Amino acid sequence: MSTAMSTMMSTAMSEPLVDMRDVTVRFGGARPVHAVNGIDLRLNAGETLSILGESGSGKSVTLKTLLRILPEQRTAIGGTIRIAGVDVTALSGRALADHRGGVVSMIFQDPMLALDPVYTIGEQIAETVVRHEGVSRAEGMARALEMLTRVRIPSPERRLKSYPHEMSGGMRQRAMIALALVCRPKLLLADEPTTALDATVQIQILLLLRELQREFGMGMIFVTHDIGVAVEISDRVAVMYAGQFVETGAVRDIIRDPKHPYTRGLLAANLHGAHKGARLDAIPGAPPALDALPDGCPFAPRCPIAEAQCSEGLPPARVFGPQRQVRCLKA
Amino acid sequence: MSAAQGMSAAPGGSLAAGPLLSVHGLTKHFPIRSGLLGRGSVVVRAVDGISFDVTEGETLGIVGESGCGKSTTARLLVDLITPDSGEIRLANRRLGADMTVRDLRRDVQMVFQDSYASLNPRLTMEDAIAFGPMINGMAERQATNLAHDLLSRVGLEPRRFAGRYPHELSGGQRQRVNIARALAFSPKVVILDEAVSALDKSVEAQVLNLLSDLKSELGLTYIFISHDLNVVRYMSDRVMVMYLGEVAEIGPVDSLYSNPAHPYTRALLAAMPSMDPDRRTEEAPLSGDPPNPINPPSGCRFHTRCAHAAPVCSSAIPNLSRLRAERHLAGCHMLVPGSGHPEAAAEARP
Ligand SMILES: Nc1ncnc2c1ncn2[C@@H]1O[C@H](COP(=O)(O)OP(=O)(O)O)[C@@H](O)[C@H]1O
Ligand SMILES: Nc1ncnc2c1ncn2[C@@H]1O[C@H](COP(=O)(O)OP(=O)(O)O)[C@@H](O)[C@H]1O
Ligand code: SF4
Ligand code: SF4
Ligand SMILES: [Mg+2]
Ligand SMILES: [Mg+2]
Repeated sequence: MSTAMSTMMSTAMSEPLVDMRDVTVRFGGARPVHAVNGIDLRLNAGETLSILGESGSGKSVTLKTLLRILPEQRTAIGGTIRIAGVDVTALSGRALADHRGGVVSMIFQDPMLALDPVYTIGEQIAETVVRHEGVSRAEGMARALEMLTRVRIPSPERRLKSYPHEMSGGMRQRAMIALALVCRPKLLLADEPTTALDATVQIQILLLLRELQREFGMGMIFVTHDIGVAVEISDRVAVMYAGQFVETGAVRDIIRDPKHPYTRGLLAANLHGAHKGARLDAIPGAPPALDALPDGCPFAPRCPIAEAQCSEGLPPARVFGPQRQVRCLKA
Repeated sequence: MSAAQGMSAAPGGSLAAGPLLSVHGLTKHFPIRSGLLGRGSVVVRAVDGISFDVTEGETLGIVGESGCGKSTTARLLVDLITPDSGEIRLANRRLGADMTVRDLRRDVQMVFQDSYASLNPRLTMEDAIAFGPMINGMAERQATNLAHDLLSRVGLEPRRFAGRYPHELSGGQRQRVNIARALAFSPKVVILDEAVSALDKSVEAQVLNLLSDLKSELGLTYIFISHDLNVVRYMSDRVMVMYLGEVAEIGPVDSLYSNPAHPYTRALLAAMPSMDPDRRTEEAPLSGDPPNPINPPSGCRFHTRCAHAAPVCSSAIPNLSRLRAERHLAGCHMLVPGSGHPEAAAEARP
């Protein structure tokens, strides 16, 4: 089935843009890693979801799974993933190439993961358009110029001919965004794209992404460890811990009424409005190793209100209204 | 923004009343070869004539965008690099006069952001901590005992951690060891240069609690450098805002956060993500990236990005001037009556 046709079908059936059900990702090898352990997610076109969590919780792996860029041999993916009506796990060949960078695009914390140091910005963006849409090089360059202007890079004509290393940090981030969006993907995956930036530059990039997302009507999944960034960029939040979404909901609800003890700890650790001199309610310990599937609540060893029953089985996702779920026995 | 008058200890004041650490006109320029321009060397004005005091027992926060000179200031204070000019005084003794570099390095210790790079991969944690005191003449047995004491003080059980190597610890644990290592010299001042910035939020909160405990138990004085304005607000008694190698504003934490006087401080605060989904940020307070301190702008260095810039701002350097709150100073022409800035009061007060 062609992408265009599946899109039409998905609209007809009002299927969400992204539909993940019980997705698991396990890396094999001498030390197996259970990186993603049963996540469910539905995202509509035009909607932004943040995945909030600390390092090692499985955020980047989740995005790479959606883009299908994990090493094939060592990775076992379970569950179902559909994007724009297409079964992502089954993609191969030309359809997979269209998927990556055509239907779904990704931006990173380090723009040099996306940009090639030996080609000019213009060449790279033009090449992407030529590859995905089969247009001429001249047309590709015209689209590159339009896109650089759109992400508000000063003197865009001149910047077409710049190499990545000739640009400042914030400018490279903008160039990477131009590259990611030039083929108008339906879904943008953003892996901490502002984490390494000064707050003064971060807010510029967040506002730009918000604006482009609205204008292009694309869905966006934005990974961050900063709850303030999640508030600025997203409609909904999924709090990730040990490869699971332990709490999901509208940003407003998560901020005002966090129900999972881990979410509450993260909010306190943000120190927004913390009183000087008052001791911080720090979560003790560290996240679990993921070499085995957790058989109880993975947060139990650090949880201030854990009880014996918490370790007896994986807490099920309890529903607290539309789009609001919490994996905690005591929520 | 030239040196602030009246910021140093009152002349004739008693030693106890004076500041513990006092910096005057501190300057460090790095000459770098400029390949692009091809005309020999240019100079990075990393720290350009800054002055400030730190009172015993307080925490001075330092904030500002990357490249503004925070780490260079820190490295000057522990003499990892030598200033071009300026004065550093500790407990009223002046570096180079009645205080040696060795004295300074013992009394002022530093913890860096990169917990891994700061530790020798071939030394166990106990040896890493004992190494400094032994170099300074402490007997091995005593130094090892000290290392074990310090490990427990920073929350790492010596029986489990003394024999471990850096790669066998988490980032948070390594940073605890780096703190222990700094404390092995019984310093008066500890400089924390983005020391918690690389840690996950939950671990960061644990280390901040540890730092607060150590400060009150050992009567330490901190200089706390961070790009995270929430953390700086929580940790600091006073805060210094730097811009392109200079001090833009310095003041008590509450006064500075609730009444920021310098347009740059206001922009930094406005750039913090909103925590209210119903009042998200609608406009970025500054555009573009921070400029670099090679050939900084004339006059007020902030004038190329300031929404209030007037002709006087590019021609005259604003001095740090006193504000209503005690010990609160900022360098902006708008704050100086008669400066010629249209938004300043017309006449100097009589
Ligand atoms: N290609 C890989 N092979 C093996 N393990 C991996 C791979 N990529 C990630 N992991 C592991 O999966 C877990 C989740 O990683 P990641 O998704 O990158 O976390 P984060 O939430 O910080 O983005 C970590 O334990 C990480 O070490
Ligand atoms: N050894 C050095 N040689 C040349 N330039 C340097 C050196 N160290 C720092 N700088 C420059 O000095 C300026 C201030 O740097 P730094 O003090 O590290 O800033 P911050 O810690 O505030 O980010 C930057 O422009 C930096 O590139
Ligand atoms: S299920 Fe139990 S251990 Fe897990 S978060 Fe809830 S209370 Fe804590
Ligand atoms: S108003 Fe002038 S002096 Fe004040 S910060 Fe702006 S540019 Fe500098
Ligand atoms: Mg990641
Ligand atoms: Mg620094």
